[in-house]
Amino acid sequence: MSAVAMLVVLLALAAPWPSPAQQTGGPGTDVYVNVTGGGAKKLNIAVPEFTVVAGTDTAGNAKLLAAVTGSDLTFSGLFSVVAGTGTIPPNNPAMLEQSWQEFAAAGAHAGLHGLLTVRSDRLEGEMRLYDLTTPDHRLIATKKFETPIALPRRLAHKIADDVVLQFTGEQGIADTKLAYVTGPLGAKEIVMSDYDGVGQAPVTRNGSINLTPVWSPDARSLAYTSYKQGYPDLYRVFPFERRPEQTLAAFVGINTSPAFSPDGKSLALTLSKDGNPEIYVYTLATATMRRLTRNAGIDTEPTWSPSGRQIAFISDRNGTPSVYVMDADGLSVRQLTSGGFHTQPRWSPKGDTLVYTARGATHDLWIVNVDGSNPRRLTGGTADNQGATWAPNGRHLAFQSNRNGRWQIFAMLADGSAQEAVTRGAAEATSPSWSPRLP
Amino acid sequence: MLTRCSHLVLSTLLVAAVVLSGCAKRPATTQAAAPAPTGSATTTAATPAPAPVQSAPPTAATTTPAPSTTARPAVQDFAAVPELADVFFDFDKYDIRPGDAKTLDANASWLKSNPNHLMLIEGHCDERGTNEYNLALGERRAKSTMNYLVSQGVQANRITIISYGEERPQCTEHNEACWAKNRRAHFLVKPR
Repeated sequence: MSAVAMLVVLLALAAPWPSPAQQTGGPGTDVYVNVTGGGAKKLNIAVPEFTVVAGTDTAGNAKLLAAVTGSDLTFSGLFSVVAGTGTIPPNNPAMLEQSWQEFAAAGAHAGLHGLLTVRSDRLEGEMRLYDLTTPDHRLIATKKFETPIALPRRLAHKIADDVVLQFTGEQGIADTKLAYVTGPLGAKEIVMSDYDGVGQAPVTRNGSINLTPVWSPDARSLAYTSYKQGYPDLYRVFPFERRPEQTLAAFVGINTSPAFSPDGKSLALTLSKDGNPEIYVYTLATATMRRLTRNAGIDTEPTWSPSGRQIAFISDRNGTPSVYVMDADGLSVRQLTSGGFHTQPRWSPKGDTLVYTARGATHDLWIVNVDGSNPRRLTGGTADNQGATWAPNGRHLAFQSNRNGRWQIFAMLADGSAQEAVTRGAAEATSPSWSPRLP
Repeated sequence: MLTRCSHLVLSTLLVAAVVLSGCAKRPATTQAAAPAPTGSATTTAATPAPAPVQSAPPTAATTTPAPSTTARPAVQDFAAVPELADVFFDFDKYDIRPGDAKTLDANASWLKSNPNHLMLIEGHCDERGTNEYNLALGERRAKSTMNYLVSQGVQANRITIISYGEERPQCTEHNEACWAKNRRAHFLVKPR
């Protein structure tokens, strides 16, 4: 590869990312630089099998860690993983150098070498990142991570997220979870998995109908609607802790559509206790409920702006449901979308856009700027695509699609490119919620 | 020379990464010190719906402590009776269709003839639209139905409503004939 081509590759990679000056909007704004993706050329990175430097790798984690890290880097949309074979022995600079020469010859721009230590209770991984475009294949970054012995994939996710950080200035999103609903009508339970659909584990097991999980900003709890007490009430569960579930709202009527405020101190939600579905804000510390909307129509599905200053929601006050925006105190209501049947708005983590579902011959995902301009379609085809949720970096969306005959979770870049299945189970999977980065 | 050029580019990129990493957005870590909320239901099953009013501008949002008592009738205590027929709704509508008013008149008469029975009205939707909107729409259908019965002289405190959204269809094919059967209000009763 010539240096000119290299320049193009690296600049294309660098270009979509915001500079520090761009990243902070002025006071009162929620607008950050739009970081989508797709279209940019990718950095070629070699990810050889990790090298075991201490302990015995009976579980085959050296191979697994390289595979998962490589898969994470591919999913990011920023890297192409250059395939290679063989193991690099520990403490053998000559063999390492020979590997990098081969990978560089195969087109790799960077090399990731993982050093794995297997302890009785934990895995320790050291990430070593090399610049293969330099003649001496220079070491450019190192970092150490550790996870409990049972969580090797999490170690891989952490390393991949740091590689993304080294090249872009923002951590990747592999060390996150998806929560979603699975099971047949009348018996839907909430589960969670890694962001890539692997390692599904139950969150609820009550045999009732459980719906619409949403993560709290600290990624430690989920709010959801359940019929387990007979009526649609709101609960909060702590899936990683031995901590009792909380009842958030169990009023007469519906208790639905929870959305944590960005500071995690309150939730916007929908109650019909005062006559018809209206949006309220529930403050956790004081257990008080504050009503925001007063309208004879349906108001539901609140979603917070990242600053916490505004809330978007849907209302059928002008006929069919459309997306509206109001200040977080309920004032200054304005209509954002019109001329369609629009539901499921979700404010992007960067603040500049909202994704929503439009119903036509099928349901499809659209995205619109926060000022209501430039609504554009992200999905198409003959199936339904709906219920989008943002990855914490605002570059990816997960959603539900029935394109393969039953509802499954899919992911794509925020410009609609790179659509791929995340779940492939026999059971229906719906209502995904993408967690913030795990603590 | 060419190699040095690419070296410079990668180095510059990485210097930028170091600068940027200090600004990388991270999730908020604020942990709300949340006492177990006491949010639960009010004592009566349901109150008569106020006539729909034009929305007042929300000059001041209302703050109320969450009520602390629960007294909703147990859903599983209610059962269907053959005398009470379902009513149906147009797509994305919750107004009572003229043809269905007769059904509701008959249901109101049944309630007056059986004063010791309480009623649960289920509101349902077809699978189109999306989940949370349909929970709200089913609620509106149940509420409209309840309001009609109250307008016919049934005491509001004999009626409880519940929305199942699109979660409990009685017909699971994906066509209009099936959808029309699912956009319904369904009636269950139990002795007081």
